Amino acid sequence: MLGRFFLLFATLLVLHAAFSTYEHLSHLKSLGKPEGSLPYDIVLEAIIALALGILGASLNASSLKETTWSSEMKTRSIDEMDARLGFANYVNRGRNIFS
Amino acid sequence: MSASFGSALHSLANYRAHNTRASQEVLEKGKLLLNSNAASKLGDDAWAFLEQLALAAIDVAKYDVADECIRQLAAKFPESPRVDVLTGIRMEATQPPETVLKFYEELLEADSSNAAIYKRQISVLIRTGKIEQAVLKLSEYLDTFYSDVEGWVELAELYSSCNQYTFATQALSHALLLAPQNPFYVLQFAETAYSADDIPLAVKMFMLAIDTVDRHTSDESIPTGVSIRAWYGVKLCCRVLSERSCSSASETPLPKNLNLLDELATERVLTAYSAGGTDNATGRELVFSWMGPSDRSGSRLHFVH
Repeated sequence: MLGRFFLLFATLLVLHAAFSTYEHLSHLKSLGKPEGSLPYDIVLEAIIALALGILGASLNASSLKETTWSSEMKTRSIDEMDARLGFANYVNRGRNIFS
Repeated sequence: MSASFGSALHSLANYRAHNTRASQEVLEKGKLLLNSNAASKLGDDAWAFLEQLALAAIDVAKYDVADECIRQLAAKFPESPRVDVLTGIRMEATQPPETVLKFYEELLEADSSNAAIYKRQISVLIRTGKIEQAVLKLSEYLDTFYSDVEGWVELAELYSSCNQYTFATQALSHALLLAPQNPFYVLQFAETAYSADDIPLAVKMFMLAIDTVDRHTSDESIPTGVSIRAWYGVKLCCRVLSERSCSSASETPLPKNLNLLDELATERVLTAYSAGGTDNATGRELVFSWMGPSDRSGSRLHFVH
């Protein structure tokens, strides 16, 4: 939940920084000097949004799954390894018990 | 109705994934789906479902359901080897074995690469009691289709049923080569070696089974499943090794520190049985008494009573 909040806040911050850049550039264009560096507070805002976004994405990620063979084998049972369905016998007591 | 369909589909898929053969349940759940013609709505899963339902129906002798499933499958997949196998299994249930074997021979003459038909032939031979012929045919089959783990395990079971435990261990060693990460086959190998009276090999393979399944667990964890069975095996082997001198047909060396191994196996099994707290496992007192006196070196053992 905290991760999602951070991610949302970081997205809004990035959008705000982008809008501020656009406003700044149109301001410079209207003043007639389109060449100018970006004010440092917009850059700072973007970098903070990046850091917060990374933090939010990491917190929001789902929990890690097991990758080892031994953890996978712990979920199996001896019955399914012994099943050998290719050789299974279909002529058994089932016909007398269940019919 | 759709909620029960969803849960039925889910449990049927679970049965398919885990090789479960709960034929009566599959039939009950599957008949609902079949009657409502959900096969058309299931997409690709429908054919696996129909195959599963057909096999379950043959198992409990509901041949009309099985025939309906096979008819639908044959309509969708004409000339398919898998449908041929299903037809053969359906024949096995009602026709005498000679007819079925002749049918399989004809199919193999037409297409000799259909592995499943060879397996059905061998299954019919086992069912009718012709074990030697079955073993011969199975060995021939495995010469061609080496990577069929199921076949090697079946061969081992056949040999074990005739008390030829050394040959069974040889067959299982091929299965271990093909599926080295599977602790169940290692356990089966160990138990077969114990039956073949090769106790040093058995104790080595029991410990390998424990290693395979518990490689990444911490020292303080409770053993479950394969581990408990393998620790029992280690305990049995240590007991036999301390009572008489054992020679090993495979010339496996004895483990060093047999006493320590014995104590470790005892401690591990008793931890597993003492883990529940107040509601202890059934048979706990039996296990304790079977393990024998626990006052060998009390400081080392710390299981909770």
